Amino acid sequence: MLKLEHVSKTYGNKNEKAVDDISFDVYPGEIFGFVGPNGAGKTTTIKMIVSLLAPNSGKITINGIDNQHDILGAKKQFSYVPDNPELFEKIKGIEYLKFMADVYQVAATERQERIEQYLDIFEIKDAVNDPIGSFSHGMKQKLALVGALIHDPQVFILDEPMVGLDPKASFELKKIMRNHCDRGRSVFFSTHVLDVAEKICDRIAIIKKGRIIEVGTMAEIREKAGSQESLENIFLELTE
Amino acid sequence: MKEIISLTKLFINESLGFSLFFYNQKFNKKEFYKQLFTLIIVPVALIPAFFMYVSLMSATYFGLTMINQTSVFLSIGYIMATVLIIVFGVMYILSEFYFSDNIEELIPLPINQRKLIVAKFLSILVFEYIFTAFIFLPILIIYGVGQGMGLLYVLLSFLVFLTIPVLPLSLITALIMLMMQSASLKGRKDMLQIVFVFIGIAIIFGVQIWFTSQLGSGDEADFQLLMNTMLTNNESFLNIIGYIIPTSFLMAWTLNKITLMSFAWVGALLGITLLSGALMVAIGERVYIKSIVSGQITKKSKKLSGAERSKALGKKSHGAMAVFTMDLRLLLRTPVYFFNNVSIVIIAPLCIWISFAFIEIPPEDLQGMQEFFRGMPILINFLLIAFFVFFGGTSATTATTFSREGKASWLTRMIPVTARDQIVGRTGVAMLIQSLGIFFTIIAIQFIFPLTLSTLLLTVVLGILGSLPILLFGLFMDMNRPLLNWDNPQKAIKNNMNVVITLFVGMAYTGLLIGFSGLLGYFVNSLLGYGVFLLISIGISVVFYRVISNRLETEFLNFE
Repeated sequence: MLKLEHVSKTYGNKNEKAVDDISFDVYPGEIFGFVGPNGAGKTTTIKMIVSLLAPNSGKITINGIDNQHDILGAKKQFSYVPDNPELFEKIKGIEYLKFMADVYQVAATERQERIEQYLDIFEIKDAVNDPIGSFSHGMKQKLALVGALIHDPQVFILDEPMVGLDPKASFELKKIMRNHCDRGRSVFFSTHVLDVAEKICDRIAIIKKGRIIEVGTMAEIREKAGSQESLENIFLELTE
Repeated sequence: MKEIISLTKLFINESLGFSLFFYNQKFNKKEFYKQLFTLIIVPVALIPAFFMYVSLMSATYFGLTMINQTSVFLSIGYIMATVLIIVFGVMYILSEFYFSDNIEELIPLPINQRKLIVAKFLSILVFEYIFTAFIFLPILIIYGVGQGMGLLYVLLSFLVFLTIPVLPLSLITALIMLMMQSASLKGRKDMLQIVFVFIGIAIIFGVQIWFTSQLGSGDEADFQLLMNTMLTNNESFLNIIGYIIPTSFLMAWTLNKITLMSFAWVGALLGITLLSGALMVAIGERVYIKSIVSGQITKKSKKLSGAERSKALGKKSHGAMAVFTMDLRLLLRTPVYFFNNVSIVIIAPLCIWISFAFIEIPPEDLQGMQEFFRGMPILINFLLIAFFVFFGGTSATTATTFSREGKASWLTRMIPVTARDQIVGRTGVAMLIQSLGIFFTIIAIQFIFPLTLSTLLLTVVLGILGSLPILLFGLFMDMNRPLLNWDNPQKAIKNNMNVVITLFVGMAYTGLLIGFSGLLGYFVNSLLGYGVFLLISIGISVVFYRVISNRLETEFLNFE
C-alpha cells in the first residue's frame, strides 16, 4: 500500500542527512506506527510521502503509484493531517469541508453522510459554521481530521495525531483508524506516545538520526531486542 | 528601560525576520540570497520615485518663492507627512497591537503592561521615523538651503523631526484601543480595520476634492492660482488643516524664522508630543490588555441545522471552482489583502469620477475633447485598453496568491488539484477583480464621455486579454518564490518582492505592447494594431500557461 525504497533527504548541510536511506512497506489492512526521538526524521519522511518535500534519492510508491512520477495520482490515494494543522483562518469550518470534498471530488450524498458522521464523532457540529480562526488547537485538529476522512483515503497519514486531542476524541480516532484498516486500507502515523503505538499498531518502525533501526511487529521487535519489556523500554535502549 | 529596549528589539526582529535571515545565512543559502536580493533591490527600486518626489518638492518651493510665500512650504510638508503617517499607521497599529500572535505569549510573562505597550508603540515608531525621513527630510533640507539657514535651524529641525510621527500615532493608537475595547466591535476587528482605512482614504479624497474645487475653471487652473487662493482665503486649506493639526502652527513658528521664541515653540511641541504619548500609554493601560484577555475577538456565527449543513456542503464542484472560491474568500475576508488587491478597482474609478465631477470643464471644451477623440477612435481605444490592463497589472492578486496562504499552503500543495485548475482558479479571481475595476471605470467615464457599444466590447475584451500575460507572470513569480513564512498577513503583501517585480514588469510590458500595437494601428491599419495586440497577448499567455502548468507540481515540492 505504501512503499519506501532507499529514500534519503538532506537539507542545507549536505553532509548531514535528515533521512538516510530508509526503506519499509506498509501493507493493506495495517496500522503502521513510526516512532523516534525529536529530530530523528519522522516529519521529514512523512512530508516526502505526502509530496510536500522531494527526496534527494529513493522511491516512494503509494497504492502502486510513484509519487515523483505521478504526483497528482499519488495524492489521490492518501490524506494527511499534520501535527499542527495550520488552516485558513478566515474560512468557516463548513467552507473548509466543502473545499476538501470538492478537491477530492466526493459526491454530494457521500460527503454529507461522512461529514455528518465525523462531525458527530468529534463533537464539532455546533462550531462548524464559525471561522477557523476562532477554533482551539484541538478543534482545528478535529476539523482537519474530518476533512481528511471525507474521501475515505486508501492510506491515512497522520503526524502526531494524538497531540492536542481530548481523551474522547483520541479514543474515537483510534477506533476510526482500526475501522479504516479493517476495510483493507492502511494507516501510517508518527507518534511519541509509545503506549498508543504498542497497543494499536500492527507494525512499528523506529527511526533514529535519519535511519530505520528497527521495523516489525511488537513480537518481532521484542525478539530482536531479546527482551519481553514494553515498547517504551526497548525504544529507550535502542535510541540511547 | 532595558526591558523596553529588549522588547522593542524583539518586535522589530519579528517584523523584519532578522533571526530567520541569519539562520538562512548559515543553513539555507538559497533563501538567504533571495532575502539579500530583496533587501538590496527594494531601496534601489524606490530611488527613482524618491528623486521624483524631491524634484516635485523643489519645484513647489520655487513656485512659492515666486509668489513670496515660502513660509507655507514647511506647513504643507508637515501636514502631508502627518496625514500619510495616519493612513499607513492605522495598518501598523492594528497589526502590531491586535493581529500579532506575540501578545498571547507575552501576557503570561511577568512584564509590566506599560512596558509592553511602550515597546509595541516604539517598534511601530521606528518604521514611521524611516517613512517620515523620506517624506519630511527633503522638505526641511530644501527649505533650509533655500533660506540659507544656519546651525540653529538644523538643531531645531532635528527636534521637530523627532516629534512628527509621535503625535498622530499616539492619538490614533489611543483611538483604536478605545474602539477595540468596545464590546459591540470586539467580534468585528476585520470590519473595523476596513472602516479605518476607508476613513483614511476619505480624508485623502476630501483634500483632493477641496483642491480641485479651489482650482475653479479649467482655464485658470494653474499652480500659482491655487497657491494664491490657498494663501489669501481665510478659510484656506492650510488654516482648516492647521486647526485640525494645531501642532503645524507650532512647527511653522519654530522653523520659519529662527528667533529666541523658536525654542519656546519647539519646547511646546515637545511637551505636547510627550503628553500625547503619555495619554496613549494611560489609555492603553486601562483598556488594551483588558480587551485582549477579555476573550474571543472573532465573532461567532449561528449554529447550522442538518439541512443548512447539507445546503452549505452542496454538490460536487469542479477543482478550479473550489480553488477560485477559496482564493476569493481569503482575499475578501482578510482586510490587508482586500485593500492591496481589491480596493484599487474602487479607488481608481472614483479618482476619475472625482477629477471630472469637481473640475468645471466649460461645455465647449468638453465638446471639443469629445470630438477630438471621436476623430481618433484608436487613441481612446488604446487609452482605455491601457487603463483596463492597469487593473490587472497593479492588483498583485496572482503575484501573492500562494504567499497569501502562508503556513496553510501545505493544504494547497497536498490536495490533488491539477495545475490547470490551480491556474484557472487563481487567475480567475484576478480577472474577476479586474472586471469589477473595468465595470466601475466604464460607469465613471459614461457620465462624462459616453462610449459606443463597439468601443466598450473591443476595449473590455482586449483589456482583459492584454492583462492575462501579466497575471500569469505574477503567478509564475509567486510559484517560484512564494513568501510563506509570516506571522502577520500584511507581510505576505508588503514584504513580498513578487509584487514589486510584477508591477514593474507589468508596467513596462503594457507600455511596450500598447505603444507598439498603438503605433501600428495609428500609422498602418487600426485592425492590424488590435490584431497584433491580441496575438501577442495570447501568445505570451500560452507560453506562461505551459511553463506554469508543467512546473507547478514540482515547484510545490520546493516551497519549504
